[in-house]
Amino acid sequence: MNEKALKDLLFKIADDQLIIGHRNSEWNGLGPILEEDIAFCSMAQDKIGQSLQFYMLLEELGEKDPDTIAFTRNANLFHNCQFVELPIGDYEFSLMRHFLFDHAEYIRFNMLSHSSYVPLSELAHKIKGEIKYHIMHANTWIQQLGNSTNEAVKRLQKALNSTFPYALGIFEESRFEGDLISEGIFEGEQKLRNKWLNDIDSVLGKTKLILPDLAAESAHLGGRYGEHTKHLQPLLNEMSEVFSIDPTAEW
Amino acid sequence: MESLDPRLNRVNLEDKSLLKPKVALDQFETYETFVQTNENKPYQHEGVVHAPNEDMAFLFAKEQFSRRGTCSGISVCKTENVIVSPTTENGKNIYDEYEPHGSELHEYEKYEVFHLFRRGKQHQHIGQVEASSYDEAFNKSKAIYNNDKTVLNVWLVKTENILFVDENYRDIWHTLSEKQFREATAYRALDKIKKFKEENS
Repeated sequence: MNEKALKDLLFKIADDQLIIGHRNSEWNGLGPILEEDIAFCSMAQDKIGQSLQFYMLLEELGEKDPDTIAFTRNANLFHNCQFVELPIGDYEFSLMRHFLFDHAEYIRFNMLSHSSYVPLSELAHKIKGEIKYHIMHANTWIQQLGNSTNEAVKRLQKALNSTFPYALGIFEESRFEGDLISEGIFEGEQKLRNKWLNDIDSVLGKTKLILPDLAAESAHLGGRYGEHTKHLQPLLNEMSEVFSIDPTAEW
Repeated sequence: MESLDPRLNRVNLEDKSLLKPKVALDQFETYETFVQTNENKPYQHEGVVHAPNEDMAFLFAKEQFSRRGTCSGISVCKTENVIVSPTTENGKNIYDEYEPHGSELHEYEKYEVFHLFRRGKQHQHIGQVEASSYDEAFNKSKAIYNNDKTVLNVWLVKTENILFVDENYRDIWHTLSEKQFREATAYRALDKIKKFKEENS
């Protein structure tokens, strides 16, 4: 097994989960209604729990412990796509990101549940149930709002247009893409992206929202290898504030 | 005013110092949530969520009532569709105390029956009856489900008024079992407060 390729894959998933989890948790106490506040933040916790599991797989492969990996790297060492680090914006922005990102995740974890690397396939198998609820949540909201008032549709469409090029950055290929595919670890970003387009299109088709023209969009790439927006470093500073003051702090 | 919580400063909360009209209440209708903690246990009532429709109610109920423990199923129904019997006290059984008045008959339908056995506990799902009215459903459940256990209160819900989750979604209950990061048990604040007081008194 090509360990470099495997670690590259695990790092990007772990970092995606940690950063989107942290971002979405920023809605804690600020959600549009109490029930949604609880649901959205609970899913954010799921994602942070998932990132922990991936960092633990990395630890087994010789990387440092999860807290050290999560809290002591600077932005240029993070492998998350730029999409997940963007500020939460208005609720429609966060909701649309949740919809686009989680659909990709759901397909990714389904693919990984057949991975030739057994610890990964077992973990993916456990996680995909959680993500299945996440996309059910996203689909229901998108269909609810995407068929309601003009204002709702307009705001969601704007969110879709602005998030779409970043969402395409989820599928930035690994330097080891060929190895991952040939060794049966992961079926590859290209295949994932095609299935994703199909899935989101079928949900959006039940709403008044229109999928942006793929040919006219260019993906925001670079996140997988440390090129990030100006938003990631402040997020990391905030996330690791306590750890930086006192790495042995207990709650 | 700047908040010490950086998130609050980022969301541009409205300025509360201005005079403005009182805002009308904008409240969703309520849905009752029934939860099954594992496949061998009956569903029981867990609480209420506000939502604009059944599907959204399910979404909210799922995280509200299952995020911390095990769960194998959740169903929801609109509050107004729960038909409630009078409630007894002092250990009297509602099936002995209440006589239905005999309401208009309709077509035969399925009804779900829930019993309350103790004040302050949750209503438990007991079973299903077929009947042509709520009154008939009450009488039938009395005949079938009234045994030596005292029932304080009965809920009847038409099966068609309950949203059950599609079989295809069974796997949403299979989640990571490692949920320690969700538990408040790790935060032993009281011990720390005591220790702090001792050290600083």
